[in-house]
Amino acid sequence: MAYKRFKFLGVAAVVLMVAMACGGSNNPGTSKQYKIGLVTDIGGLNDKSFNHLAYVGLEKAKTDFGIKDDVTESKSGNDYVNNLTGFASKNYDLVIGVGFLMQEAVGTVSGQFPNIHFAIIDGAGTDANGNDLKHTNVESLFFKEQDAGAMVGVIAGWMEKNGKAKKNKHVIGAVGGISIPPVNHYIAGYKWAATMEDPSIKVLVGYSNDFTDPAKCKGQATSMISSNADILFQVAGGCGLGVLQGAGQAGVYSIGVDADQKDADPSVIASALKKVDVATYTAIKNVVNGQFQAGALTFSIANDGAGYAVDNLTVPAELQTELKTFQDKIKAGTLTPPADIPTP
Amino acid sequence: MTTRPRPRSMPAMVRRMTTGLAMPLGSVLLAFVLGGLIVAATGGNPFSAYAALVCGGFGIGCAGGENPGLQISNTIVFVIPLITAGIAVALPFRAGLFNIGAEGQLLAGSIACTAIGIKFSSLPSPILLPMVLVGGMVGGALWAGVAGVLKATIGAHEVVTTIMMNYIAQWFLRYLIVGGPLQLAPGTSKSSPIGAGARLATLLPNDNSLIILGLPSSVFRVHTGLLIALAAAAGFAFLLWRTSLGYEIRAVGQSQKAARYAGISVRRTIIVTMLIAGGFAGLAGAIEIAGVDHNLTDKYFSDTTGFDAIAVALLGLGSAVGIVLAAILFGALHAGGSVMQADAGISGNLVFILQALILFSIAANFVGAIRQRIPGLGRPTALPPDLPPAAPMMTEAAAPPTEA
Repeated sequence: MAYKRFKFLGVAAVVLMVAMACGGSNNPGTSKQYKIGLVTDIGGLNDKSFNHLAYVGLEKAKTDFGIKDDVTESKSGNDYVNNLTGFASKNYDLVIGVGFLMQEAVGTVSGQFPNIHFAIIDGAGTDANGNDLKHTNVESLFFKEQDAGAMVGVIAGWMEKNGKAKKNKHVIGAVGGISIPPVNHYIAGYKWAATMEDPSIKVLVGYSNDFTDPAKCKGQATSMISSNADILFQVAGGCGLGVLQGAGQAGVYSIGVDADQKDADPSVIASALKKVDVATYTAIKNVVNGQFQAGALTFSIANDGAGYAVDNLTVPAELQTELKTFQDKIKAGTLTPPADIPTP
Repeated sequence: MTTRPRPRSMPAMVRRMTTGLAMPLGSVLLAFVLGGLIVAATGGNPFSAYAALVCGGFGIGCAGGENPGLQISNTIVFVIPLITAGIAVALPFRAGLFNIGAEGQLLAGSIACTAIGIKFSSLPSPILLPMVLVGGMVGGALWAGVAGVLKATIGAHEVVTTIMMNYIAQWFLRYLIVGGPLQLAPGTSKSSPIGAGARLATLLPNDNSLIILGLPSSVFRVHTGLLIALAAAAGFAFLLWRTSLGYEIRAVGQSQKAARYAGISVRRTIIVTMLIAGGFAGLAGAIEIAGVDHNLTDKYFSDTTGFDAIAVALLGLGSAVGIVLAAILFGALHAGGSVMQADAGISGNLVFILQALILFSIAANFVGAIRQRIPGLGRPTALPPDLPPAAPMMTEAAAPPTEA
């Protein structure tokens, strides 16, 4: 019996040795191949939102520039520092952190590796108190969410004004996750544009204090629907899927956020887009072209870094013209959506 | 081959040890083989996956340019809370109690630690550091104590109450740092940092300009909490085997009736066991705050250390040495997952599959079943008698204790 067991161990040892020997080794080409590392937040690559879009941008850059790209998904908040450090310690040319949850981690690691370039979506490298450390090796990729919010606000306001919504009581809603700047920017543009389209409109704004639990957001949505809201804009990430479902079940319309959420629920008529893929691609392009710049890089309608998508809705020609005029005006700078939620 | 006689001189102790180790080692091996098949079935190379996992966890055989020292440091940072939280599950196991609430107790400990560390942030380290650590233990102990008292007085099942207490801790934490009194500033989901005196020192200097092993020494986050965790493991073993309380705990776990007949107060033992267990879990939370994060953040919304601790306690067979070894395995898996994804392109989720397979094969006692079916692998043996399987323990403990 003992012999058998030892034989078994022997086989295991051989397997282990083969495993060690199989560690890959690749020959780098003669021309410099840029190494880009992407660290997702806890949403993971399949979040149909930020992380997914960042990956899309990374893949596009890989096709265009022939970079070596590596991705690490963070399983918990414990992993941010480790994953960023992992790429930085291997001398990657650019390490991208996705999402403001990673601000402190990017602040810490960028201080430890002053010669490595970092980019962070929706945030900056900060200290524990949330103050921007302004490291010269960190590029912050920000978005004018209010631009995207305004475009879907136009759709909502126009539909209420022209009686194309479900109840047409001139009431719409927005459910935010936590009251933080990116969320409020969206809602600000939404409310501002909807009011411009339909001055008699009432915009209900609520927060679920959560970004992950759909049940909490659905509760918010249900209470808004009972107050006659019939178009609901979700600005709450995974939690906001509950808004879309709640609207679908109550037979009213909803609007998605960040990525095109057409497939999340049939009630989704439009999505406000934050083009994280464009931002990621631009950050990589800058590094490859030797044009990395520290500090904020803002993406808006003007540079095609924000926008909207029309989803499960056939857009009347009139609305289409309205949207185009509105977008052109924002692009030209004659209309500027506000960053703070306007008070009625 | 089966006729080969067993050497008669084999000491009983060695035999007992191999029998005892067969279950955990076999479970881990089985999990890795099944995990490898899953990787192969999904088009990956299991060998490169495991090579990257070993590199990420132990810094051995790294092909992708990883710094071995950094990987070992990362693993140890994950191991530290798993040890203390693992004890928080293992100790009640010995008393026939299933503490699923280590996570909630850990959170209670981290909340208490942070609150004290902020409130008294100006105190010097020799006073403040013990305060936050003990405060964390008290927080965890009180959290677990609720379940202990309910169990001892009205017989409410600890599995149910500790699970519920997990949710209460999670939502309480959420309230505290999102809109509540510990929130740093409106629009953030974290607390202010604890005072400098409340922090555990890192083993290497926290200095960005000092280069150790080719990297700035501040990237090595391994901290003195390691010593506390190892001391906690030693204390756990001492408590269990060298004190009368430990004897009482084990006696209650074996048979409440016999313990009562021997003059042991079952109620008191249950409450005290849960208090101590909660203290260990709370210590895990306090060490995480004092050693790694220095503030409460939204990462604690999705923290799973207290749940991983259940697997650690089971795999470690409830012994101090076993818990340390199992914690090292789980910590290495956690740290290795990221490297595996970056280097071998295998999703880090494989780590969760491996953890689940390990737990599953322990719970289902696959190894025992295999040993019984295949005669060549040895005689069918029962589990080591000092740790009966969880299920019968739970059913026995399910009855409300009655003092005779």
